[in-house]
Amino acid sequence: MNLWRLEWLRLVRTRRLIALLGVFLFFGFLGPLTARYIKQIIENFGGNVQIVVPDPVPADGITQYVGNAMQIGLLVSMGIAAAALAFDAKPQMGIFLRTRVRRVSDIIVPRYVVMVAAVVACFMLGSIAALYETTVLIGSLSIGGWLLGTLVGSLYLAFAVALVSLVAARANSVMLTLVVSVAILLLLPVIGVIPDVAPWLPSHLIGGVDGLVRDGAFGDYLRATIVTIGLTLAALWLAVRVAERREL
Amino acid sequence: MITTSGLTKDYGTTRGTTRGTTRGTTRGLDHVDLSVTRGSVYGLVGPNGAGKTTLLGVLAGLRRATSGTIDIGTTKVGVLPDTPLFDGWLTAREVVELSLNMSDGSTDQDRVAAVIAEAGITEAADRAVGGFSRGMLQRLGVAATLVAEPELILLDEPCSALDPLGRREVLDLISRLRGDATVVFSSHILADVQEVCDTVGILRQGTLVFEGPLEQLLVGKAQPQYLVRLRPPIEPVVATLRTVDWIERVTGVGPDQIRVSGANLEVLETGLVPALAAAGAQVVSLAPDAPSLEDVFLEVVK
Repeated sequence: MNLWRLEWLRLVRTRRLIALLGVFLFFGFLGPLTARYIKQIIENFGGNVQIVVPDPVPADGITQYVGNAMQIGLLVSMGIAAAALAFDAKPQMGIFLRTRVRRVSDIIVPRYVVMVAAVVACFMLGSIAALYETTVLIGSLSIGGWLLGTLVGSLYLAFAVALVSLVAARANSVMLTLVVSVAILLLLPVIGVIPDVAPWLPSHLIGGVDGLVRDGAFGDYLRATIVTIGLTLAALWLAVRVAERREL
Repeated sequence: MITTSGLTKDYGTTRGTTRGTTRGTTRGLDHVDLSVTRGSVYGLVGPNGAGKTTLLGVLAGLRRATSGTIDIGTTKVGVLPDTPLFDGWLTAREVVELSLNMSDGSTDQDRVAAVIAEAGITEAADRAVGGFSRGMLQRLGVAATLVAEPELILLDEPCSALDPLGRREVLDLISRLRGDATVVFSSHILADVQEVCDTVGILRQGTLVFEGPLEQLLVGKAQPQYLVRLRPPIEPVVATLRTVDWIERVTGVGPDQIRVSGANLEVLETGLVPALAAAGAQVVSLAPDAPSLEDVFLEVVK
């Protein structure tokens, strides 16, 4: 038993992995289905009102998936990450871990890496499900654009988990960690209303998934990608520093 | 030797006032000079809020001292909090394995099995710890602390949740560690401290008001006295003894006992029996009355 296996067992035995997988797969299958039949759905509920809905294109399937995955999927991911990363929320637990490892990073790094691996894997599996169903129901789309878009979305998720680890290093409870982390993430699009700033923000990457499957250029998201990688590493570094200074 | 010199710990506090809030500090530890002999069992006692947990936390590196110096002399430190807590979905064996692996990277299953047996939880070793009672968690905490063979063991109220049998086993375990490891343990149960500790430190409001061998503490505070059981009534005997010039104090302890103290033990040993006979006392029993650690503790911290 080591700290890496501990994190894997945390995901499996607490059924958090099933919750993650369930959420992303559910939206992976639901997204293209909604995109394909949105016209019929609206017609059924529209009554006598005529609503003109354009015919779906393949990219709509992925757009629907990402829209849900980056809201409910992200929230579930951050909640599960907060439960793992806020190890000092129960001081006795923190004492058990901290007094045995050489460095606090020995605790934080496995938790972050395993958590991100699980979230990204589930996001990708959901995306594969959405790709498959989109191809079957609507038509094929650019695999290159889809892959790049999924990677960009994964990077945003990795950033979100790093943010959780930073907040967890200071917060006194799992719930506080989640609330503050979500509040910070929600703040980013608000800052993004400034046109010159928006392309630099991590939140720009959410639109990147949609943009790239619609044959957008990666160059449009390069600045946000670089900033997000930098902020993710900075958040992790800071999380370790803050946790090292924390007293129990 | 594990030593601290002038160890001080201040906590920042914010207090509400009618004009808003004011910031101040509360002193958790006040110039504590600790001296723990390597391989000994050191008992840390004091009333609630005296600073015991703070001192253990500073020694464990979990809290930073505001000033002063600490010389632990080892990096192999084991800490057991008063209410140990582990991920409830791990088995007891996995908790101990994890503890060992985190401490020195080892996966020695024999060592894990040995400490599990020593802590008396072999039968529950493969059960999830989420269903453990507080006493069982305490035993598991002891196993998880000892598995890495730390050279300094800090135990915060290790017997607080244990039944009499569990308490006995943990005390025996602590006693067996003597010589192999240095143990500092805090306790409210003074009988436990009296039983296993070589040295005792008494904290009061963050200050170390006494440190030394138990005997020194007890002897230093001991006033030579005898406890005498008599056939009632005791009042005439008390009145007569109070007229004896070398007897310093006579007090009734219940309806059939008196406590007699004198200037020194020799005078009491030679003169008390004749004095009782002269007072017409019907003596049932008579014995030296040594102060308990509890008596001394209450005297020191009041």
